[in-house]
Amino acid sequence: MGETPDTQGRQLAVEARDRVRFEEEALQLADQVYRVARRLVHSKEEAEDLMQETYARAFRSWRSYTPGTNLRAWLLRILTNLNIDRGRRQQRAPDTTHLEESDYFLYNRLEDDSSDSPDEERVLERLSQDSIVDALAAVPHDFRDVIVLVDIGDFSYQEAAQILDIPVGTVMSRLHRGRRILKRHLAEATVGGD
Amino acid sequence: MATFDPCAWCEEILQPYLDRALTERERAEAQAHLDSCRYCAKRYRFEEGLRQFVRMAAIEDMDPELKHRLASLRTPLL
Repeated sequence: MGETPDTQGRQLAVEARDRVRFEEEALQLADQVYRVARRLVHSKEEAEDLMQETYARAFRSWRSYTPGTNLRAWLLRILTNLNIDRGRRQQRAPDTTHLEESDYFLYNRLEDDSSDSPDEERVLERLSQDSIVDALAAVPHDFRDVIVLVDIGDFSYQEAAQILDIPVGTVMSRLHRGRRILKRHLAEATVGGD
Repeated sequence: MATFDPCAWCEEILQPYLDRALTERERAEAQAHLDSCRYCAKRYRFEEGLRQFVRMAAIEDMDPELKHRLASLRTPLL
């Protein structure tokens, strides 16, 4: 017994409805996805290209998304994979061991450099928005990806691990090292190098 | 044998502390130290403020025009 034209039509209608729902949900998340995308790459143009490629691919392969799971993480997995495919990884991560300092380093540098002994809010005020954006862009990409996903995208270690397809332990170690590298760059930008 | 330096230990666990990735016991020990050590407490508050500042500074919203372009990538309804 084959399917009647009537059941076929009904299936198509159900599929169209599911697809439209998926597309709407994905578009609603575009602002949040963009905020992460913008900091994964260096320019606004790159971020916009990446968003368009990501959404084009997501709309094509919407059937592989499992409803009820984290759609924002699913979209960012596509986006980070596309970003890697774009050849970004050809750029080798520089040796960063000499860039690392302990976690109090930035505070100590900013405090040493000021004449009085300020409280932590005054110390924080010495940093500018531009210096933060530049310092983040200067963090090697393996470390930056994790910082951006966790600290800007609000993903858990577990979600970041799934998006980047790396072990959770690697997420944690890259995050910790990456934040130290970020602080080193901030110290250099604000009070100069050693 | 090196003597135990509570401030060095506290510095070492700053990130897992703020990420809430410490065990209950480690967290209680860190809290006890922070309650009595102004040096570390200041640096913890700075780090917390720094994270918020990084989050705020790094946010750049997309052009509304891009959203229209993304919407136009949808499969057309027949």
